[in-house]
Amino acid sequence: MYLLDRVSKVFDGRTIAVNELDLKVRRGEKLAMIGQSGAGKTTLFRMLNLTIPPTSGTLLFDRLDIGRLAGRRLREVRRRIGTVYQQHNLVPRLQVVHNVLSGKLGAWPLWRAVRSLIRPAEAELAYEALSQVGIPEKLYDRTETLSGGQQQRVAIARTLVQNPEVILADEPVSSVDPALAAGIVKLLIELSETYRKTLIMNLHSVDLALAHFPRVIGLRDGKISFDLPAAEVTDDHLATLYAGSEAETAEEVPSRAEPHPVRSCQPHLTS
Amino acid sequence: MPGQETSIARRGPLGRPRRTRPGTSSRSGSPSRDLGQEAPRVPVTPLGEVNWTGTRRSSYFPVVFSVLFLLTFVGSYRLAQVEPLLLFEAEGRRNILKFVSGMFPPDLSWSFLSLLGRPILETIQISLMGTFMAVAIGFPIGLLATSSLTFKGILNEREMAASRPRAMLHRASYLLARAVLSLFRTIPEFVWAFMFVRAVGLGPFPGVLAIGISYAGMLGKVYSEILDHVNPGPLEALQATGASKLRIILYGLMPQALPNVVSYTLYRWECAVRASAILGFVGAGGIGQQLEISMRMFNFKQVFTLVAILFVMVAGVDALSARVRRAIMGRERI
Repeated sequence: MYLLDRVSKVFDGRTIAVNELDLKVRRGEKLAMIGQSGAGKTTLFRMLNLTIPPTSGTLLFDRLDIGRLAGRRLREVRRRIGTVYQQHNLVPRLQVVHNVLSGKLGAWPLWRAVRSLIRPAEAELAYEALSQVGIPEKLYDRTETLSGGQQQRVAIARTLVQNPEVILADEPVSSVDPALAAGIVKLLIELSETYRKTLIMNLHSVDLALAHFPRVIGLRDGKISFDLPAAEVTDDHLATLYAGSEAETAEEVPSRAEPHPVRSCQPHLTS
Repeated sequence: MPGQETSIARRGPLGRPRRTRPGTSSRSGSPSRDLGQEAPRVPVTPLGEVNWTGTRRSSYFPVVFSVLFLLTFVGSYRLAQVEPLLLFEAEGRRNILKFVSGMFPPDLSWSFLSLLGRPILETIQISLMGTFMAVAIGFPIGLLATSSLTFKGILNEREMAASRPRAMLHRASYLLARAVLSLFRTIPEFVWAFMFVRAVGLGPFPGVLAIGISYAGMLGKVYSEILDHVNPGPLEALQATGASKLRIILYGLMPQALPNVVSYTLYRWECAVRASAILGFVGAGGIGQQLEISMRMFNFKQVFTLVAILFVMVAGVDALSARVRRAIMGRERI
């Protein structure tokens, strides 16, 4: 599905976020990425979902070189990749149904997108997606009235409606109650199994990654520290990965969950 | 470090482009410090924290600014011949008294009031049509003048990197839009009205045009500022689903910006009522024409009535727009 050959991302000509990274992801694979804040996970994700271009190296998606795509062809490839974000990235003022259906925006003609804001164009589709994530009754609620966990489910429903080939989940549970975190991770894994999607997830929590994913990649300083089946990841590997961080193990996930950061247009350097 | 990368990613901590001054070589000095070492422990350091060049710059600026401001203030006080005492001198007092007492009793005769129905209606109509026109012109130009839509930030990161001519085109359209908006604004509506009276003749229409054009400049600028400060997270998410810019505007930008946009537009409508009264002075219809006639004839009793009517009109529009605003904001909370 993905093939990365010495992909680097350098910000401002000097801050290396991702450093000559090689990676191969097969179709249908489920893999988790772990590593400290600032290890380059989010930057890597933003390259994988075609939000930012790599500085150098080759980035293949389904044998298509996506490093320098633009315009319509860029949007076509983006449609095949779904992303679930840490901060949900929903529009708070809109009803849930519109946020869910916005997954269809890439596929809809403009007139339908406009009309749908007045009368939802495919409400059944949105209802179905919300049922999949367990909150169908919220269809016509205002999105901002939902809890963090529910909003993350809405964001997942949006991705389901988009129906991509790959789901990228960038720390989807970091801003969710830890008790609910495992549920959302499981939900994403089940859904991607049911619909045969490739799933790549960034996780703060080592436990969640090891418990649920067959393949785990450790990222440190923009490079791959290890890339192993979950069963083969040892404490030594983790110690190397997290050496020098304040929280030696990632067990303190809840305490490390950052407060809602002020969003800016800047590519997330740290997260 | 391919050269092409630096052109798009040279931005500060808040996504603003960092200005690289040609003289001070911030780029020749710093990379060697950064990249010359072995790979830094934490390679991702927000650059805003390290200011390689001109570290002093920020510290003496406030002092310079304060001194300049003080000098300007003192100079202006003298040059503008500000003399508050003049107001209270004998002659000033007498004139004010004469002027104010001349206003009483206000002219409430039917023969005068019956003249005002049409101008009042005309003033409201001018302000309404003018504001409509201002929105119709200002909004599209405002979109082009929104940097996060045209060339900056996450919505343009890839497109700007992909093709240099396109990047330049985007930047040019942004600059052009801003230039047009400031041209609209720098010419006061009074002067616009004066010109349009010459162009299309006396009556309310030049007033509509004058408000439409000058307010388009203000609305467009404020719209672009509102849109630039919208939370970009949802926009990024929509873009990642493959949505085009127009759709991102529809589903991500406008829903977030709508309360502010409506609120400011209503405020501008209130201003337009006031402005359209003044525009009558140059023959652009409305209540202002009557005001001008009465003033020229030193009929202060009529002036009082007219000003009172204007006050009621502005207060009425204010109350009305407050209700609309509440309706929109309230709906948002539920």
